[in-house]
Amino acid sequence: MRGYLLRRLPSALLVLLGASFLIFTILRLVPGDPASSLAGPDADAATVAAIRERLGLDAPLLTQYAHWIGSLVTGDLGPSYAIGGQVSDLIADGLGATAELTVAALLFVIVLGGAFGILGATSRSGWVRSAIRVTTTAALAVPPFVSGVLLVLLFAVVLGALPPGGRVSFLGAPDLAAQYLLLPALCLALPSAAVLGRYLKDGIERALAEDYIRTATAAGVAPRRLLWRHALPNALPPVVTLLGMQTGHLLGGAVLVEAIFAWPGLGQLAEQGLSRRDYPVVQDLLLLLVAVFVVVQLLTDLVYAWLDPRIRWE
Amino acid sequence: MTELYPSPSPSTGLSRRSTLLAGGGSALLLGLGLTGCRSAVSESSSAPEETGGKPRRGGTLNLAVNSDFVPALLFAQSGQSLQQRLIYNTLTRYDDALTPKPELATSWTYAKDGRSITLKLRDDVTFHDGRPFTADDVIFAVKNLQNPVRAAQLRSTAAAVNGFEKRGDHELVLKLAHPVNNLFDLFEFMIITDEKTVEDAVTGKKLIGTGPFKLKKWSPGSGLSLTRNDSYWLPDRPYLDGVELRVIPQADALISSLRSGQSQLSFAVPGKSLGVINSDPKLKITNYDTGAGAIYLGVNTTIAPLNDRTVRQALAWAIDRDRLLAQTLGGYGLASAAPWPKSSPAFSEAHRTHYTHNPGKARELLKSAGHSKLSFPLLHIGLPGETAIAESIQYDLKQIGVTTTLEPTDGATAQKKLISQEMPALWSMGHGFAQVQPSTLAVSAYPFNEAKNTSKYRSATYTKVVQEAWTKPETSAAEANALHEKISGILLDEAFIIDLVVRGQVQVNADRLHGVALNKFSYLNLDDAYLV
Repeated sequence: MRGYLLRRLPSALLVLLGASFLIFTILRLVPGDPASSLAGPDADAATVAAIRERLGLDAPLLTQYAHWIGSLVTGDLGPSYAIGGQVSDLIADGLGATAELTVAALLFVIVLGGAFGILGATSRSGWVRSAIRVTTTAALAVPPFVSGVLLVLLFAVVLGALPPGGRVSFLGAPDLAAQYLLLPALCLALPSAAVLGRYLKDGIERALAEDYIRTATAAGVAPRRLLWRHALPNALPPVVTLLGMQTGHLLGGAVLVEAIFAWPGLGQLAEQGLSRRDYPVVQDLLLLLVAVFVVVQLLTDLVYAWLDPRIRWE
Repeated sequence: MTELYPSPSPSTGLSRRSTLLAGGGSALLLGLGLTGCRSAVSESSSAPEETGGKPRRGGTLNLAVNSDFVPALLFAQSGQSLQQRLIYNTLTRYDDALTPKPELATSWTYAKDGRSITLKLRDDVTFHDGRPFTADDVIFAVKNLQNPVRAAQLRSTAAAVNGFEKRGDHELVLKLAHPVNNLFDLFEFMIITDEKTVEDAVTGKKLIGTGPFKLKKWSPGSGLSLTRNDSYWLPDRPYLDGVELRVIPQADALISSLRSGQSQLSFAVPGKSLGVINSDPKLKITNYDTGAGAIYLGVNTTIAPLNDRTVRQALAWAIDRDRLLAQTLGGYGLASAAPWPKSSPAFSEAHRTHYTHNPGKARELLKSAGHSKLSFPLLHIGLPGETAIAESIQYDLKQIGVTTTLEPTDGATAQKKLISQEMPALWSMGHGFAQVQPSTLAVSAYPFNEAKNTSKYRSATYTKVVQEAWTKPETSAAEANALHEKISGILLDEAFIIDLVVRGQVQVNADRLHGVALNKFSYLNLDDAYLV
């Protein structure tokens, strides 16, 4: 396995290097530059030149590229041009906030999706089943930028029960942090919970129609035990696969939800960085995303190689 | 008849009791969770008890802003300047009639030739780290703004200061290369910072000033957290314990924050949304005369036939400014052909209405210049509000036979094109600096700069008038008015910048918040603010 890993590593590093070059080049090709952005709409040429020099943008492009790669190698990502603070701190904070939102949304997806699926498949009440069908349809049909505004109107403006936006750290005040997290997590989770609920409902219904359930019923197994010990475990595997796919959707959707709820995550950071041409922030953020993809790909290859030894020798 | 394959639901379904139990339990848990701990809503709107309208100490004010503080732009007029006067002080502050009033400078005397000014400074002021404020801090503040890297719009005025003479720790003479009539604009604009930590300030690490609030924490993307400065030089001020600047970029969320009571103050509610605020009895709207900059149509005077003044004037007559104001700013602002807000000494009703909506006259002018149909690109920033403005201009110009192709672009690109003179034939944007001394507009706002501007307009007369207005020693009101007339006359006649609407500077606050003030550069002053 070590040999296989050593053979795969150079190509992964090459991909990262190529990506870094592409990111660097494309950013420089985008019109506008950090110095003009920082200089403001009333700046003269001397101001723009002084800022370019301070940021090191007057150096040749290859020198700038080498400087960036050097900062990545040493782990000192340096200061942001326009947002302020250290790039590593900005990315760590943004990553933490986005991860917090995604994990909370994932919990909502599991709880709500589970409830929709189980109740939808097993409830004897017609109105409960109808209500779930309407709710899941609405959750799927209404985009987050609409459901987000509606949630804010209901819970923050009309009821005054939850804050409409912002973030409080869990380390400082967990009780307040949970309340700030509730609405954005719910908004992000609703469409995925609806999808999950429908899959689970179909899965449970299929499982309950199987022969072994009928046999168990005839043998006098209690309905609750039938559901929890036999039908549900058999309905879960495809749902778990779907949950993995939905996690990716949640991460992508978080960008939009962050804007609605003023949640300072990676999406907000990327938007700020790009709009102000903050090269270090955008470069490092994009390369981080590429690196995550490369690592996941590498891990997948390693797992395949572990499962199928022939691959190691190809 | 019995079912061969009975529906699974009846045999395995949850009973009504268990459904109700599960639902009830969940609701109970959620309720306990929300009520058993502090409420984030009441926490963020905490205030002292009712005092019958008298100022009362305590409470934290939550201020909703739509963009974050940018430390690198600490010394420039940027989109977010509200925190400046909370953390720092300025030397003087203007009243409504642009008369300077003492802040850190207690008095001042101009030399007769206008080539120096003697400032007496407060001797009871300390920085947030305990160091006393002295004349050296003023010297540093001026030199700091002279540094191009600070991107300060009033750098030309700061650069006119070419000598300093200290007379003890609290008296200072500023010597000027030539007289400037907007020195108090500089004193209103220039924040007094701590020299030792200034490099930390421009990265957001440390913000040490002499202002009523100290920096507790800055969380990029989330906002600033400020706490009361107990050693503030103004006795018994500030009343508030702290201020939280919360970044809420999305307009609907920002309005919800105000309506829910999470925030008590904002200057970022879009004009079109103020109708919603108007209907809320707990919120109050204040419209400042200073305005929040002006919307204009820029013209590249080197592109034919826009090099013909008659064609530019035709465009100025074509725009329906009142409709633009109503449709894009909800009526909050001032339709005006001149750049000046009502608070400006250069403001006059005649200038404001110099160009009105007159498509017939516009067509006549075009005809007299030998044109009936023209076509130009029109660049604008691709945000919803800016796009609506550009579309409104496009519609009006089409009525006189001028078709425009909209070129939406992002802010950073537009800014680069603006300051590097790369704008196409037409562009619509906003400008500031008309709210203080009129000469400041022509020397500090790039679109109007007499030496070099985006329109590439040069005129010896304009340069002469601007230089005279800027560098003339103290003049009588009549002389000053005559110079303002000349500047306005050239701007209106030459129409290289066609002003359309002065944006309203609109404050929305909870009715239990009192004592809020803004300076002319939109620095928020909460010295006297209190919550009841």
